Amino acid sequence: MVETTLHNPDAISTAEEARAIRLTRARRRSRNNIFRHIFLIICSLIMIYPLLWMVSASLKPDNEIFGTLWLWPSEFQWNNYVEGWDALVVSFSRFYMNSIIITVLSVIGNVISCSFAAYAFARLEFNGRNIWFSLMMMTLMLPYHIVLIPQYLLFLQLGWIDTYLPLVVPKFLATDAFFIFLMVQFFRQLPRELDEAAMMDGCSPFKIYWAIIMPLSIPAMATAAIFSFIWTWQDFLGPLIYLNDVKDYTVPLALRMFLSQDSVSLYGEMFAMSVLSIVPIFLFFVIFQRLIVQGIAMSGLK
Amino acid sequence: MRKFLAKNAPGYLFLSPWLLGFFFLAIGPIVTSFYLSFTKYDIATPPRFIGIEHYEYMFVWDARFWQSLKVTFAYVFMSVPGTLIFALAVAMLLDRQIRAIGTYRALFYLPSILGGSIAVAILWRQLFSNAGVINSIVELVGFEGPYWLSDPDYSLYTLVILAVWQFGSPMLIFLAGLRAIPQELYEAAEIDAAGPFRKFFAITLPMLAPVVFFNLVLQMIEAFKTFNSAFIISDGRGNPLDSLLFFTLYLYNEAFSFFRMGYASALAWVLLAIIGFFTAIAFATSKYWVHYENERG
Amino acid sequence: MTRLNRRKFMSRAAAAAGATAAASSFGLPAFGQEVSRIRHGWWGNPERDRRTFEVIDIFNGKHPNIEVVGETLGFNDYFTRLATQIAGGNMPDCIQQGYGVMQEYVDRGTMIPLTEFVGNTIDISDVDESGLSAGTFNGELYGLTIGANTMATVFNTALVEASGETFDSVTWTYDDLKRVATAISGSTPDGVYGTDDSTADWGAFGVFAGQNGFLSVFSDDGEDMSIDADLIIEYWNMWKEMRDAGATPPGADSAGLAGQADLTVQGVVTGQTAITYAWSNQIVGIQGLMQDKVGAAMRPHLPGGEPGQSVQPSQFICLSRDTVDAEAATTYMNAFIHDPDMTAVLGMERGIPEVSSVRQMLAPTMSEAEATTVEYFDSIQGHVGPLAPPNPAGAREIEEAFERIAVNILLERQSIEDTANQFLQEARGILRRA
Repeated sequence: MVETTLHNPDAISTAEEARAIRLTRARRRSRNNIFRHIFLIICSLIMIYPLLWMVSASLKPDNEIFGTLWLWPSEFQWNNYVEGWDALVVSFSRFYMNSIIITVLSVIGNVISCSFAAYAFARLEFNGRNIWFSLMMMTLMLPYHIVLIPQYLLFLQLGWIDTYLPLVVPKFLATDAFFIFLMVQFFRQLPRELDEAAMMDGCSPFKIYWAIIMPLSIPAMATAAIFSFIWTWQDFLGPLIYLNDVKDYTVPLALRMFLSQDSVSLYGEMFAMSVLSIVPIFLFFVIFQRLIVQGIAMSGLK
Repeated sequence: MRKFLAKNAPGYLFLSPWLLGFFFLAIGPIVTSFYLSFTKYDIATPPRFIGIEHYEYMFVWDARFWQSLKVTFAYVFMSVPGTLIFALAVAMLLDRQIRAIGTYRALFYLPSILGGSIAVAILWRQLFSNAGVINSIVELVGFEGPYWLSDPDYSLYTLVILAVWQFGSPMLIFLAGLRAIPQELYEAAEIDAAGPFRKFFAITLPMLAPVVFFNLVLQMIEAFKTFNSAFIISDGRGNPLDSLLFFTLYLYNEAFSFFRMGYASALAWVLLAIIGFFTAIAFATSKYWVHYENERG
Repeated sequence: MTRLNRRKFMSRAAAAAGATAAASSFGLPAFGQEVSRIRHGWWGNPERDRRTFEVIDIFNGKHPNIEVVGETLGFNDYFTRLATQIAGGNMPDCIQQGYGVMQEYVDRGTMIPLTEFVGNTIDISDVDESGLSAGTFNGELYGLTIGANTMATVFNTALVEASGETFDSVTWTYDDLKRVATAISGSTPDGVYGTDDSTADWGAFGVFAGQNGFLSVFSDDGEDMSIDADLIIEYWNMWKEMRDAGATPPGADSAGLAGQADLTVQGVVTGQTAITYAWSNQIVGIQGLMQDKVGAAMRPHLPGGEPGQSVQPSQFICLSRDTVDAEAATTYMNAFIHDPDMTAVLGMERGIPEVSSVRQMLAPTMSEAEATTVEYFDSIQGHVGPLAPPNPAGAREIEEAFERIAVNILLERQSIEDTANQFLQEARGILRRA
């Protein structure tokens, strides 16, 4: 069903012709591939340099980080990792747990609630759709610093300060318009005939959303999940404003407690913990980027 | 009535989480900030209504407002096309079945993961310092390197380069978009002996248009609102000589350093109007170059 | 909603939400019992946080009817959150404040004067006179000093030694600075210079103004500047001579450091220069980032001038207007500066204590770094002037304007005279608007 709607099978007249094409493509590809690899490796080095720099800084004594550009530490301070973990009044085990709770809930909330809204905007007809869509886009344009205080007052009235509620509940209410707009763009690309055929078969809009749109949108969902994870994990303004108790702090907020302008900073430990703080994001990315690639193959669109 | 319900119920049902969020969480603060833009509000004492005084001051007297607009517009016009072209090129490069492609993707995404951390701020200053890596390369080629960070004519470029370097997010979206293009279209084009350029302009770009549109709009909005990188690189001030005085940086300092929340709110609404204007233009022109599958006919 | 009602409301909301997953993060205990819950907020660092939480435990152990809860953040983050809390009316009961911004917070009514608690919960009989006067704003005591601070010149001892020049770290002058810095530039490899350039350093200009007899650069009523363009021109010309003599990095390079407070970009840390201008409580932090040993000197003097430097509080502990139990809060504040067990733990991490008995008690237990700081403090006695009056509203904005506009001189985009006039004009505009 999907195959026929997306392209014209007559374009490839015979099987042999197609095989011949694939062969020439393969030959050209192997030659191009060498150049491509060289190019990619050079680019990768530029991309990875900051991480190397960070790892190097995390292994240097503090007095070597800023005076020299040389990356190799005179002696390796593996202790930065051990001591950094417990250098603050609360252990990083706790900070990681807090971050994971908030981030996982946010990813789930964003993907569910935003895909709901996006499905409505992209696939359903209803009165006032354009107005709501414009209002949604507007929430994307207002600088967030300016709503910080009114929002704080709102959550204060609700008694949510010092809890995770202000950080998590909005995610379940699709307040992040970025994801809605992203999903709308992908949903609109799916052939309309799918919905219509399903509707004929008596499927409810929810069934269409769940059984057709979502499976076909795995790359978009994976993309949204990756962004949602990274942005929530790295957000410090929200936790900064809403959490008072150090035991509730998230990793990025904790990282900012290593440095001091009027006393001694622990740079080595800060960099060590910064390097570790990237690990969860990186793992999440590596796992979910596969879905961006695999999703389409699974759906039979290819 | 029944017909009305049948038509609208599913839409509003799916929209209900968003509607709930909009009415309970978003609209209140938005309206409040709009009201505050007509008041004098120092956070500690109740806001006092002063009409359009802030807007008048802004347009007539405030030279730094105009400076921040200048900086922001220059940044948007340089960084958005730069980031988009780079992101698309890399996405196409990575959309291939070659060995270790997953690793490359991860490595290319790294700069975006590092985001606006303290480490990036320190690193960027070291890279662009007078005796830093960048100038060493520039001198190798035979030129004299400028004072990137202290010369107001150059400082903005360091931030544009930073933005382009953190191209990971649009790249990933492009990649997801490219993956949605049926390979058979390309095979059909090869039978017609189409070259890579024709394939790009006849297949890739039109099929990718909705995603290009998304990235364009979003990158533009984000570029207008750029805060983090400017904040960390210029120590929160916009130095040297206000050459990094991004609009949101100015707004933030007005609000949180100098407690002029009312004035900052007025600034925010001017920015909203500007972004809204350009977004509306983008949406209006999209009719001519963005075509969606489901609206073909 | 009154304060009491809001607390009731919040506790009820907390109870209602208690069933949710986030229940564990509710720090609110059940209300109605006799324990007063006091929040203490400060900006910190790992060491300060550890000590302060320990002190809170000691206090809570001694006062079963008061429960103090600590809240800590990094310096910049602290003030961002404080701003939202001011708007929300839920600042911590006890807040840490700096001298430079204190007047603004007092003028906006965010703090409660301590005067009525003196003699009851707060004992000031053994607090230094200088500490008390520093904490007095608009005629009332608002802050208890929890550490003293003063400016310092921090230099790389190895580079100074290698230059072959010497100077007296207490009495030296701008001429000495020029001589030593020029020699350092000559005795070091290309790209290393004698001193950081203070052209765009508002604090350093303040010292210069003090040396010229202007205790404050602002008029007494805080509505105008007390200085004229000539003084600024003189200051900028002095630094131009240093630059022309090769004592500083090229102006175009220094322009990038204007207004940068971060220790890691200061010349002495990056190795670009041998002399940097900082505060006494930053000496230990700077040393930690450097391989060569650093020394501390006073800011250079003006021959025949007044003392430009003063000892000022590094931090106050204050009572916020949102306090739920002022008596309990002030009891805690008093213990924070007096209780021997607590002050022993706090040590001199926040600066030198203003209570004489506490200083005597700490003397034998000082670390080497702390001893260096105390030594520096002792050496400057008799060479410091009175504390400048508190800054009027708009002072921080003027500071930023100075550090921005002065870059014109470093980049040679404007004449010194024009730049000085431009700054004065902007400064007056800021004061009018504030």
